[in-house]
Amino acid sequence: MSEGHTRPLAGLRAADEGRFGGKSTSLGELTAAGIPVPPGFAVSASAFHAFLATGGLEERIAEALEGARGGDVGAVQAAAETIRAAVGAQPVPDVLREEIAARYGALARESGDEPEPPVAVRSSAVGEDSGEATFAGQQESYLWVRGADAVCDAVRDCWASTFGAPAIAYRARMAADRPPEMGVTVQLMVDAAVSGVLFTCNPVSGDPSIVAINAGWGLGLAVVGGEVTPDEYLLSKVTGEVVRERVNAKHVEYRPAAGGRGTERVAVPEDRQGVACLDEARLDALVDVARRVQRHFGSHQDVEWAIARGGGTPESLFVLQSRPVTATGAKEPAPAPASALSMVMGTFGAQVRDAAKEP
Amino acid sequence: MATSPGAVGSFPSPFEIATPPGCEGWEEMYPHYALFAEERREADEGRLWFWNSMHFPVPMPAFDVTSIDGPYYALGAWQNRTFAVPPAMGIDYRVVNSYIYISVNPVTDPQKIAERAEFFQKRAGHYFQNWDELYGKWRKKMEALLDELMALEVPRLPEYEPDEVVFGDANSSFYRVLEAYSRALRMSELMWQHHFEFLLLGYGAYLTFSDFCKQALPDIPDQHIAQMVAGLDVLLFKPDAELRRLARLALDTGLAPVFADGRTPGEIDAELATTDAGRAWLEELEDVKDPWFNMATGDGLYHYYRSWFDDPSIPYASIAGHISALSEGREIERPTEELARERERLAEGYAELLSEEQLGPFQELLGLSRTVFPYVEEHKFYCDYWFLTRWYNKIREFGGLLAEHGYLHDAEDVFQLSRHEVMQALEELVLHWATGGLPLGPTHWPPIVARRRALLEKLADWSPPPALGTMPEAASDPVTVMLWGITPERLQAWARTDEGATELRGSAAAAGVVEGPARVVRSVDQIGELRDGEVLVCGSTSPAWAPIFSRISATVTDIGGVMSHAAIVCREYGLPAVVGTGRATSQIRTGQRVRVDGTAGTVTVLDGDP
Repeated sequence: MSEGHTRPLAGLRAADEGRFGGKSTSLGELTAAGIPVPPGFAVSASAFHAFLATGGLEERIAEALEGARGGDVGAVQAAAETIRAAVGAQPVPDVLREEIAARYGALARESGDEPEPPVAVRSSAVGEDSGEATFAGQQESYLWVRGADAVCDAVRDCWASTFGAPAIAYRARMAADRPPEMGVTVQLMVDAAVSGVLFTCNPVSGDPSIVAINAGWGLGLAVVGGEVTPDEYLLSKVTGEVVRERVNAKHVEYRPAAGGRGTERVAVPEDRQGVACLDEARLDALVDVARRVQRHFGSHQDVEWAIARGGGTPESLFVLQSRPVTATGAKEPAPAPASALSMVMGTFGAQVRDAAKEP
Repeated sequence: MATSPGAVGSFPSPFEIATPPGCEGWEEMYPHYALFAEERREADEGRLWFWNSMHFPVPMPAFDVTSIDGPYYALGAWQNRTFAVPPAMGIDYRVVNSYIYISVNPVTDPQKIAERAEFFQKRAGHYFQNWDELYGKWRKKMEALLDELMALEVPRLPEYEPDEVVFGDANSSFYRVLEAYSRALRMSELMWQHHFEFLLLGYGAYLTFSDFCKQALPDIPDQHIAQMVAGLDVLLFKPDAELRRLARLALDTGLAPVFADGRTPGEIDAELATTDAGRAWLEELEDVKDPWFNMATGDGLYHYYRSWFDDPSIPYASIAGHISALSEGREIERPTEELARERERLAEGYAELLSEEQLGPFQELLGLSRTVFPYVEEHKFYCDYWFLTRWYNKIREFGGLLAEHGYLHDAEDVFQLSRHEVMQALEELVLHWATGGLPLGPTHWPPIVARRRALLEKLADWSPPPALGTMPEAASDPVTVMLWGITPERLQAWARTDEGATELRGSAAAAGVVEGPARVVRSVDQIGELRDGEVLVCGSTSPAWAPIFSRISATVTDIGGVMSHAAIVCREYGLPAVVGTGRATSQIRTGQRVRVDGTAGTVTVLDGDP
């Protein structure tokens, strides 16, 4: 298989970020670090450019954008719709289609169970920290996608998402003509019994000795999308013990749709809503993963995770993505004091003003 | 002009507290300077007074005021006049319905604070830098004082003076009685001087470490901070360790049945004396007694709290408990190795998470806290337990002397007189002994004793509010934070807690959640009422209560922080604890079901109508 526009996730490292985007490369890093990540492959940003170069798409997009330049909200909206219709109607080039199908086939063989295993298709923006990435639909996720054709369509949908109205308006404001560098991540689905998000520090207080976990029933959509009040845990990274916990009523969950393609939102029976979705073993496993992820990246991480239905702990726990924590509520650290003794003096209200005068 | 009623903040004015019916005249037991008086009404209403239930949970007998004055002479002298803690002078106390309220005298003038800071840095710095050497000297001073106390003889008054007065250098008995009593009072004052020499600095170092940890690691459980600092080989755990050893010995030598339920120490001793194994065990016990039976049954400040010497039922009950645990195959040893590993695991685990700039101060402060902490834990054994139980026994001997001559009905009555009244009684005693005249003491003192006993009994039913006066606006005073855990947040919480509330908040002192029936214990003589599985609700506890911790399911206290004794012992026993709730003993009744959440720091009364 040619190393054209795609690569297995396991083969990616941080240095590939410029070609494959943050999400795919961080999953590659995690896989290399031995952290359980569902297998998958990445589509490069160059694939997006190759796609745009076909069928005069680039010119049509430029034309639509010209119409929106300096225009009002309505004009931007109209341009976005024109572009997305054009993108949606343009077939993915055969070369690329074949490459994706081959990768998907390999993934199916690796997973073993079925010829068309369900996958998640998500955007993987290059330069995640840039404001552009925020507007470029980096949150786009297509879950429970089955079959090579459907995967190609989902990849194209990720590309199309970069032409949403807010993204266009943003780029117009920043005088950026080109669409963003956008990779795509294709990853085997975890049929999650429980899923959620963890931070390797307390995002509110900034405490680095805390693992903060939010968890809900089913696939991660409900927690990530803020559709339920998740169970909330603060755990000590040092001892693993629960420092604070709040079990909330989780009234909805997402599951694979009945036909095996896509997802559906279902109500959680009342008697299960208030049940804690993590037990001690699962919490232990999550704290362990948090420690390893943080150690690997050397910085605090915001991690999406899932626990597969029916498996034991910890082998059913998977990390679905990890990205750096950019802002916490930590107070500005006080200037480092001269000595422990001077701090003790401070406790008694006897601040040392001039260390040179100390006996 | 006096503050108008109602102008006082969130707590009642001390001048509006009613005397319970039938308790009129309680003031006669206390010195004039210890009362809320009109002359200083404006000043006293304008400051915050909190009930010192940690040290004085029950009504104060007249003699025991010695154990208020002594500490506050000494605390003030060290804090204010010696180290000159910049923002706080000493602590004033007042008596309300026989309960003790205290308030710190703040320093507000910035120039004065700066001046004091110079003193403090030089003097406290000297102590911190020479801690081990100075603490070594301290132990010697304290041991010398204990020797002197135990050697103090309370003379009797003979029909004729002994020959030594004539043929030797002995002083007359009248002088020796008065001198011995004066000497006893001076010794108590000296003990209090020693008691406070290191205490503030020790707590201050710990508090600094704790504040540093909370700044760098805002969610760190208080218990982890305490665990990193707390000593493992602490003197206060020795007495119970010796009892465990004696329990093993009894079991190994076939003596277990002698310790059957319901037997008194006297009965047990009598049976042990009948066999060789029993006699060997008793000899072993004798070796343990000095010094470990100087452990007190309570926190030591009242004359009520006796030592294990005086009341062996506590250590014997503890031995019996250990024997039955051992015979059921339960482990009774403190897991010291595990505790040591945990202590290092925490210290290393947190150190790894800190930034490079934070690491140095963290390790220095942890080292300093560990250096100072033995004193904080050990002074209690030397001063509060060993000295005070022995000292009150000396005072009992003076009571015995007065009773022998009819001035009191019973030696124990001496504690109903102030220390000055005792001197007065002794002065009259030696006068009329010397002159052979007719004394008035035997008719003067007994009715006073009877009246005061009745007052104290009635006042024991009164529930003191946690605080009086005005909420302070200024920043917290370091001393009340260190010694009593009184933070501005704590005061706010007390002010918020409504009468009859079903949830109380305090410090989360030992993790875990337990539900069980409450047992409100307001004085040490009630601890015998505790039943297995009950939640202990008390003012505060001391390590002397250790034997009961194997029976209870959780602890709730009115006062104290995460380094309070209740907290330390509960963590050792793995029991949930919530400390510093302010009013648990007045809000919870014995028999109510409560939920103690030692992780969140809350106590919920489950069966309503409190």
